[in-house]
Amino acid sequence: MARHGVALSAGEALPVVAKRITQEQLQRYADASGDHNPLHLDPEFAAKTQFGGTIAHGMLVLAFVSEMLTAAFGRAWLDSGGLKIRFRGPARPGDEVEASGRVTKVEGERVTCEIECRTRVGEVLVSGEAEVTVA
Amino acid sequence: MTTSLAALPKGFEFPPATFTLSREWVAEYVAAAGDEAIAALGDGLVPPMALAAQAVRTLIEASPLPPGTLHAGQELSFRRAVRTGEQLTAQARIASRGERAGWVLMSVDFDVQAGGESVMSGRATVTFPAEAA
Repeated sequence: MARHGVALSAGEALPVVAKRITQEQLQRYADASGDHNPLHLDPEFAAKTQFGGTIAHGMLVLAFVSEMLTAAFGRAWLDSGGLKIRFRGPARPGDEVEASGRVTKVEGERVTCEIECRTRVGEVLVSGEAEVTVA
Repeated sequence: MTTSLAALPKGFEFPPATFTLSREWVAEYVAAAGDEAIAALGDGLVPPMALAAQAVRTLIEASPLPPGTLHAGQELSFRRAVRTGEQLTAQARIASRGERAGWVLMSVDFDVQAGGESVMSGRATVTFPAEAA
């Protein structure tokens, strides 16, 4: 089994995608996605919640994971990818986050990976599993 | 007239929503998400999460989320790549709804089709304060 000409096997790490989240990015993502939940955009509203401030959209954090899988598997991710994740914690403006993954199983052309996104200080934001068919 | 998602029962089916992802919107999305990988695959391809985000947007526009709604989980399955300009139709249904400790936990199943063929399906699980319902 190969990905971009490189042999795939259980244990192989996927390329890490690193990002720094900013409040400006949350505004841009809200404008693009149409999700203007004040928890992401309104510091006064968000300060009164259990988070004490604005947090990133879950779908934005998940976009970092998808970018990692696109970098790892190319067009195959778009044609046959799947994922199942849970959001474990909030990403906040100023956080530096990393999406990472590791191949856990290769069965024929179907590859399974564990995936996650963490802050640089180790807080887990997203964890779960992804699958993709690699011809 | 829209109804908040908080007021909708299990089994509710959202009206199908048809949309097209323009090149300009995809560029806006890619810039906002900072996606540096999609461009390497060639011109005109839509990032899978852009498609998912737009499908969710159609739901939010039909039934706004209560303020403070949290995204608890997500499942997605992609069946083929989508290109800018394709006409797409999103359908969705509330698959489950429960309440515990003052919070509503709701799962919404959705499917996006192009030309009658499913290109993406998934389940979004959200939670919001029961007082919003």
